[in-house]
Amino acid sequence: MKKKVGITTCSALLLLAAALGGCSGKSADTSTQANPQSKTEAQAPAKNELTLGVNGDPHSWDPIDTFLLDWSTVATSVFEGLVERTTDLKIQPGLAESWEFKDDKTLQFKLRKGVTFHNGEPFNAEAVKFTFDRLLGEEGKKGPQQANYASIDRVEVVDEFTVNMILKEKDPVLLTKLAGYGGVIVPPKYYKEKGDEYFNTHPVGTGPFKMDSYEKDNKVVLVKNESYWKQGQPKLEKVTFRFIPEATTRLAEMQTGAIDIMKKVEISQTESIKGMSDLELMQVGSPTVYSIRFNTSMKPVDNVKVREAIAYAIDADLIIETLLGGYGKRVNSFQSDMSFGYDPNLPLRNYDPEKAKQLLAEAGVKEGTELDLFLPGTDATFKEVAQAIEMQLGQVGLKVKLNLVDASTFTSDLIPKGKAGHMYRNGWGGWTLDFDNTAYLMYHKGEFWNPDFYDEKVEELLKTERSTFDQEKRMAAFKELNQRLYELVPDVPLYQTINLWAVNKRVKGFQPPTDERIDLREASVE
Amino acid sequence: MAAFLIRRLLHSVFVVLAITLVIFVLVRMTGDPVSIMFQAGEPTKEAITELRKNLGLDEPVYVQFGLYLKDMFTGNFGTSFRTGESVIDMMNEKMGATLLLAFGGMFVALLIAIPVGIISAVYRGSVADFFGRIFSLLGISFPNFWLGIMLIIIFAVKLGWFPASGYEGLEYLVLPSVALGLILSGILARLVRSSMLEVMNQQYINTARSKGIKEWLVIIKHGLRNALIPTVTFIGLQFGTLLGGTVIIEQVFSWPGIGRMLIDAISQRDFPVIQGSVIILSFLMIFVNLLVDLSYGFIDPRIRQGGGKSE
Repeated sequence: MKKKVGITTCSALLLLAAALGGCSGKSADTSTQANPQSKTEAQAPAKNELTLGVNGDPHSWDPIDTFLLDWSTVATSVFEGLVERTTDLKIQPGLAESWEFKDDKTLQFKLRKGVTFHNGEPFNAEAVKFTFDRLLGEEGKKGPQQANYASIDRVEVVDEFTVNMILKEKDPVLLTKLAGYGGVIVPPKYYKEKGDEYFNTHPVGTGPFKMDSYEKDNKVVLVKNESYWKQGQPKLEKVTFRFIPEATTRLAEMQTGAIDIMKKVEISQTESIKGMSDLELMQVGSPTVYSIRFNTSMKPVDNVKVREAIAYAIDADLIIETLLGGYGKRVNSFQSDMSFGYDPNLPLRNYDPEKAKQLLAEAGVKEGTELDLFLPGTDATFKEVAQAIEMQLGQVGLKVKLNLVDASTFTSDLIPKGKAGHMYRNGWGGWTLDFDNTAYLMYHKGEFWNPDFYDEKVEELLKTERSTFDQEKRMAAFKELNQRLYELVPDVPLYQTINLWAVNKRVKGFQPPTDERIDLREASVE
Repeated sequence: MAAFLIRRLLHSVFVVLAITLVIFVLVRMTGDPVSIMFQAGEPTKEAITELRKNLGLDEPVYVQFGLYLKDMFTGNFGTSFRTGESVIDMMNEKMGATLLLAFGGMFVALLIAIPVGIISAVYRGSVADFFGRIFSLLGISFPNFWLGIMLIIIFAVKLGWFPASGYEGLEYLVLPSVALGLILSGILARLVRSSMLEVMNQQYINTARSKGIKEWLVIIKHGLRNALIPTVTFIGLQFGTLLGGTVIIEQVFSWPGIGRMLIDAISQRDFPVIQGSVIILSFLMIFVNLLVDLSYGFIDPRIRQGGGKSE
């Protein structure tokens, strides 16, 4: 008996030893560089070093493979595009010094001279051509970014620092997109030598910081790009992004001083942050807007009077004030006030339950009529919003049934198939900051996320807006479009979200981004 | 013995095939991964169709399943939709961190459960026993998510003894291991207590005592060692629960293991990663169960002979 117990104990110990041994080996593999000193640094932050707590790891750094905001949070410091956006969202020169339309379908870029990639490779017209060949070719097919650049036919090299972008069709939002995700410039020689898989975890760009080490699901360390083209930038020597998915844990790390900046503060956490003298709560408007969208083919919400009544019955101001703690903004259409196409003069439908009741009576809707409202079960904030809506609609005689469903099933399956009930939560980012994409994909007949809404006038206005580069003409079309949508009420716009950040007061020159793309070029620490 | 082993192996193959089929079909009922892939863009319908084709998702499910099975038998569990990395490589990379956490949790559980169990059994009915049993009950009742956050607030934020999250060195292992171990220690302490009680009533304990051996030696050498047999098998069976528990703990403590990888993959509908990791984890569970069953056979020959019936 004794001997047998001995065998079991031994094998258990062996297993443990194997696991521990295997483990230390593996952890070294996952990081691009062993980093034994990092522990002490986390405890005593040195000068000119910054640690940020962000919620997610993008897992792939290749700009054409990604579809995550988490990518942009970090990768904005590593990669750059031909153009960039300022913090107040204006387009400004990036790796291109200037650009002009030679004709309707030829966009010419003059490139910045003397820029090098982090590996020393020169930035030039070849690199731009390579980047777009890859994005628009076979390589790009495997990722979601190609779709955003479908209007580009090809890129032609004119001379070492001039390229022509030949377009298939007019694309008024192309420049905004080039300041976005997939179009950032990658180094041809490095990519060809190291291959796709290596590039995924060891990205090289022209940005202000270069990647020093990356440990999946743990952290990424960036160091200053000494030969950055912008004089005097960046100011920081080293930046560490730690991936901490739980907001509670991020706040705890903020309180212990292990991180200096926290992304995605929850409304329930604002009081704890305000209560700490060394922390500052920062807020910034986001392009994300929430609305209640109707299935316009379902009774009784197929009747515009019923939809209008619901819009009057919802008290969005009260929802923002109480449930969002004031961290939200009223909007009159399904876009944020930052996007081109927003018309500040379009009226809001303010809370008016009497008018709602009257409209419902006119539409012949009986008291106690039941309506489904679908929302993703993981969205705790919107769950409260939905409960408030349930109550408010109850006051005008409508019985709302809340259906909490899995987030992915909700967006990928229920909405596109028109199975998300009479009403559902609709959230949208509008990353191009131009109403074009949002309006087109939401209201154009047959689009993925628009299974039922159709209006001839809307189609016509969308066509007009897309067919010209003349921003004045486009704005006129958008104004009319907003007005038309206001009358048809395919949705009730509720609010534009406000993103909250916690920042340690020792950090200077940090501006939280509206689009989650953190620009740390001007940031420093005391 | 050989027949027993062959039967168990065939049984395992069948279970793996069944799991593969179930997970393959279920994961495809949960929605379309492609539309989720466009968080940072606003794609047209054509773009969605095109990407779906490129990922092989336009084929009928049975064709996809056939191809998957074929690949699986050559050891290829597919590549991630998101990163293009092979699922096996991803599992390899994360397995170490998860096993470390699981063993850390087990270590804490044993560290607490054995003394608590022994004291409860030896001083049965005393105040110590009372507190021991209350402790076990608390351990079983705590939700590990809540416990994890409490540990962070107390030991990282207030006291500053341990780091709150991340994975840099051994001190980062302490809080998540305690969170994981405390919960298991409740059940384990009860088990140690009852086994000790049973063992301490055996004739050979009295024999040992009558030989004049010191009481603590009797308890440790004769009592505990025999009481540990059911504990060791129990630990084997609890291994799955422990791996399951790491999913939540990894999320709370930002621990870079399989649990977090799986949560990410599920929220992004990364089919190959979900399928591959569930199948590989089930391989592991089946293997551990097989080891436990075989170790029964070593410990007690009666089980080996009656193996067929015991199933």
